Amino acid sequence: MSNNAPVSRPRFAPDPARGHFYNYVRFLWRSGLDATDGSGWFYAWMTLLSAVALVGLNAWATQIQHGMGVTGMNDHVSWGLYIANFTFMVGLAAGGVMMVIPAYLYHDEEMHDVVIVGEMLAVAAIVMCIGFVVVDLGRPDRVWHMLPGIGVFHWPVSMLTWDVLVLNGYLLLNLHICGYLLYMRFIGRTPNPRWYVPFVFISIVWAISIHTVTAFLYCGLGGRPFWNTALLAPRFLASAFVSGPAFIILGLQILRRFAGVQMSDRPISILANIMRVTILINLLMLASEVFTEFYSGTSHTSAARYLYFGLHGAHGLVPWIWTSVAFCVIAAVLLLRPGVVGHKVQLTVACVLAFVAVWIEKGMGLIIPGFIPSTLHELVEYTPSLIEWQIMAGVWAAGLLVYTIALKIGLPVLTTKPGAKH
Amino acid sequence: MGLKAPLYFHPLVAVAFLSVGAWWLCAVEPQKTSGPAVPVSGSSTGATLVRHAVNIKSGPETPTVLTNALTHTGEPVPVACSTCHATRTPDLARRRAEEMKDFHQGLAYKHGDQTCLSCHNAANYDTLHRADGTSVDYPRVIELCAQCHGPQHRDFQAGAHGGMNGYWDLSRGPRERNTCVSCHDPHAPAYPKVRPVFAPVDRGARQQHSREQAHEAKESAHE
Amino acid sequence: MTRRNALKIAGATLGAAAFAKAIAPIAEWGAEESVDEFLQKHYRELSPEALAKVITRLEQETKEDYGAEVHISDPRPQEGVKFGYALNLSICVGCRRCAEACHKENNHDRPSGNSYIRVLEMQKGSIDLAQGNVTYTHPVSDSEKYYMPVQCQQCDNPPCVHVCPVEATWKEKDGIVVVDYNWCIGCRYCEAACPYHARRFNWTKPEIPKEEINPVQAYLSNRIRPQGVMEKCTFCLHRTREGRLPACLEACPTGARVFGNLLDPKSEIRWVLANKRVFVLKEELGTKPSFFYFFDK
Repeated sequence: MSNNAPVSRPRFAPDPARGHFYNYVRFLWRSGLDATDGSGWFYAWMTLLSAVALVGLNAWATQIQHGMGVTGMNDHVSWGLYIANFTFMVGLAAGGVMMVIPAYLYHDEEMHDVVIVGEMLAVAAIVMCIGFVVVDLGRPDRVWHMLPGIGVFHWPVSMLTWDVLVLNGYLLLNLHICGYLLYMRFIGRTPNPRWYVPFVFISIVWAISIHTVTAFLYCGLGGRPFWNTALLAPRFLASAFVSGPAFIILGLQILRRFAGVQMSDRPISILANIMRVTILINLLMLASEVFTEFYSGTSHTSAARYLYFGLHGAHGLVPWIWTSVAFCVIAAVLLLRPGVVGHKVQLTVACVLAFVAVWIEKGMGLIIPGFIPSTLHELVEYTPSLIEWQIMAGVWAAGLLVYTIALKIGLPVLTTKPGAKH
Repeated sequence: MGLKAPLYFHPLVAVAFLSVGAWWLCAVEPQKTSGPAVPVSGSSTGATLVRHAVNIKSGPETPTVLTNALTHTGEPVPVACSTCHATRTPDLARRRAEEMKDFHQGLAYKHGDQTCLSCHNAANYDTLHRADGTSVDYPRVIELCAQCHGPQHRDFQAGAHGGMNGYWDLSRGPRERNTCVSCHDPHAPAYPKVRPVFAPVDRGARQQHSREQAHEAKESAHE
Repeated sequence: MTRRNALKIAGATLGAAAFAKAIAPIAEWGAEESVDEFLQKHYRELSPEALAKVITRLEQETKEDYGAEVHISDPRPQEGVKFGYALNLSICVGCRRCAEACHKENNHDRPSGNSYIRVLEMQKGSIDLAQGNVTYTHPVSDSEKYYMPVQCQQCDNPPCVHVCPVEATWKEKDGIVVVDYNWCIGCRYCEAACPYHARRFNWTKPEIPKEEINPVQAYLSNRIRPQGVMEKCTFCLHRTREGRLPACLEACPTGARVFGNLLDPKSEIRWVLANKRVFVLKEELGTKPSFFYFFDK
């Protein structure tokens, strides 16, 4: 069967006479070529990302050499920018499979073509999660201590071990789904549903689990009353399903505008509809949390007081959290307008605002107040150091690199005519 | 392309759940021990435990007072209390240090409503006396304090008052303990104020302190 | 060879060079770590011979890094001993000599003034930690205040032990919660989990002048810790497992601290528990501390 994939080149075409092993290696090689070939803008983007990633890498190397003291963290606020970003990224990874639900549970054929964008976001986001955890470790050279069998894996008691399992499992799931679909496209065969549909269903449930387990990391700690709330896991899910679709809507718009991908407004419209509901749920849960904290007036609420109003002269996070609330409300108002999908500028603004709002609220707005005041009620504020910002930028750049490469490889899937089976 | 679950789907899910369950059951291992325990030294089968001494520091030596006279080597001449007091009439009512004009000026005295001779022995100024009048040497002053300060003495006997150095396990080593006057001046026994050492200098504490100072300054400026 | 490919190869070469330059600090750091340390197993899985080799290596490294001869022992928990510690809040004057003694005994990093003990100056009539002050410098004791040193409570239900992903921290049979500094990966989850601010992280490599190093060390307690790992109060197990009193207790000038074996009915700590009105911090969290507080009146 001849290969009529739209961007094939004779040199690395699959050979139907040879087996899967040979063709898979060819697929990887071709993907590598696809990933490093493009327009001038593409090279500029990739070079920029690589440069930022290298700056981050150097900052991380300095941190390894001199110790975590180069960060702004201390024994009072012992988690900071890295874990804040990690928490946010887990949500983004979970939200990435939002599109899977309408496509597969509701048999929406048109969504199928763009589902891969969400799944690739999940892969890139998990890579960033792993990146943020590794840069936060005091001894990354000892990561092998976690491997069951050769290390000591404190499962099922430690929630961190659950998190390791679910995050890596989620990564493997999405790698398999994306890899399988792209490989089938490469060798010009129709994907067999048995090999990916069950995994897609599992990934829907698994997406819920990654964020629930991450929330359990925090809400299981009795000594941290700011986190020790049953609402934490549902709040994580609600905000994940705001940030994920927001990012994907932005991504789809970029693909349409800059990569020539043809698609109707329908996937964007579905995602915007999802966001309309989840952003309101997010605001409702925020209101519930705020009421519970402030109505009772117990000293357990001092962390919330620090976050929203400042405490004893310390008010570092107050402008941040109110910005996040304002952005969330504005985004909700914009999204609720009936014709917002047609107004691309309004939609873009709403998505950017929602994304930033969740980044603040689930990042610094969640992690830092857990430590302020400390368990002995000392008020020690935290400011990330330059090295922390550099490393954060580096991990983001690495994640965007992965995402860009994944999309570049996956473009053929998206540029086929609508209606073609995938 | 059908979206019905393929035939193997349900068995696959069942197997997945069962294997997770089995793994969980196997993964919950009994707590590993932390190594062989060491029998307490000195205890063998049925033998009596060695018990090391608890040395309580003794009270002061019988005090002497230094005069202005000098010895042939240039040292001030010490005299025993009884040297002067043998020829003086004891004032059983004296209870304020300021009343003493001839000697013992500058003595800081703040011990409740006690008179001097509540503790000092009018019959023999080189000793002290208990409440029943019997005399007790200066080195055993702890018996005197214990008469009135029963709760503290009880705590002291039980090891809950007064510092100690040495071993918690007296079968392995001795212990040295303070006596009352090691910390409490008998004339003004309230524990003195001390300057604290070692204030935290970690980044956290310094930040908090300077911020609280600034906050208080701002608040007082508003008033 | 097209111009595009030539440019790509040039770019890739530049990138590789930049990459090597970027990670150079790791290479410098890695040169100091030994292969043996990298491969070392968990303390509880080491045979006595392997542990002896590890200890020899650690003593050697201390000599090279700090210039001090030290002796690292490995005292094990004894049968029939469970440590308890009580603190008399009526007597503590807040002098902080315990915190200073801890700093010296445990070979803490000097510049940061680290100590496992933090003394809170509390308002009389309140046990609200939010009204406590740690940074007081005025002469003590103030008559309106009382003083409460806080250190690791060696909980019977320790949240720090539950959350460690690699079991680098665990509770020993005599009640002490210990850390294997060569197994800890530095994730600091235990520091987040502890309700008593008892755990410390080595944000840098500890700096101690060699004449100030306490050479009497133990593997699980006061040996000089490497960079990037957690540490905590061990009730001075290098002393207490030999039957001696912990350094903080010996330094206390007022005798506010009482230490001993909770399983010995004739011990001082048992007397305190039986005869004084004793309480624990944050009892509602269910951590079951082995550290007790009491007032005389």
